[in-house]
Amino acid sequence: MPTQEEKAQDEILVRDMKAGSMEAFNKIFELYQRKIYALSFNMTRNQMDAQDVTQDVLLTIYRKINTFQEKSAFSSWVYRITLNATYMKLRTKKKDQYVSLDESLPNFNHSGFQNEKISNWSKSTDSLLFSNETKKVIEKAVDLLPEKEKVVFILRDVEGLSTEKVGDILDLTIPAVKSRLHRARLFLRKKLSHYFDEYQTRSAKQ
Amino acid sequence: MICCKECIELLCDYFEGTLDPETASSLEDHFKDCPPCVSFLETYRQTSDLCRKTLTAVEIPEPVQEKLREFVKTHILNR
Repeated sequence: MPTQEEKAQDEILVRDMKAGSMEAFNKIFELYQRKIYALSFNMTRNQMDAQDVTQDVLLTIYRKINTFQEKSAFSSWVYRITLNATYMKLRTKKKDQYVSLDESLPNFNHSGFQNEKISNWSKSTDSLLFSNETKKVIEKAVDLLPEKEKVVFILRDVEGLSTEKVGDILDLTIPAVKSRLHRARLFLRKKLSHYFDEYQTRSAKQ
Repeated sequence: MICCKECIELLCDYFEGTLDPETASSLEDHFKDCPPCVSFLETYRQTSDLCRKTLTAVEIPEPVQEKLREFVKTHILNR
């Protein structure tokens, strides 16, 4: 989350950029390039695409800074431009594959109580966290999310933005952000559960 | 008592801290009596943590960084 100082710093830089300061642009470039690249990379999982998007976004910031209204934070504006450029990139590539999120809940009986055993793998992931296999599983699971859920999950849980900020960037109500976030987490939890359960079984056999 | 299904529906708000105190406390009462929901809660939370730790590590690779600097120099700063 941007601190008050970062926001104040952005405001000064935006004002200077509007006045034509290249130095201010350069500073914005240094401050934002990783955020732009990381968001785009996590959405596309492709280095070349993320590089193209970052270039597009930098050019858009430079060309369109005078149209930025300052009604919302500069960072929200940058995230929005980044997502638009990323969507354009994704559109040219593949059709949105349809994945159902309905199967992500446990089984309930007719009274709404759980029917299946829920294994608790939450304490056994430390040694696995930075293994390449785990990383791949997580990346693949996130890539499978439908775009609407994926973008909310990445902004909120990966980038760590507040629910309000995500709503502002995506023009969604708070309940809509939470509902998409929850669906994404349920889906990912299910995918990771398969993996960690299987891992535990594998380890037990060895 | 609230059921498991309701309990899971409330998890997002529970972690955001936006449940009213009464609902939050009936949720916690449910957890006391329901180990499967505790497992669910902990793995739900761990899912976010794991994904964050894995995916926030994205850095710009050096060759890309070079290209970006070059791009900014050519297309923006030296125009």
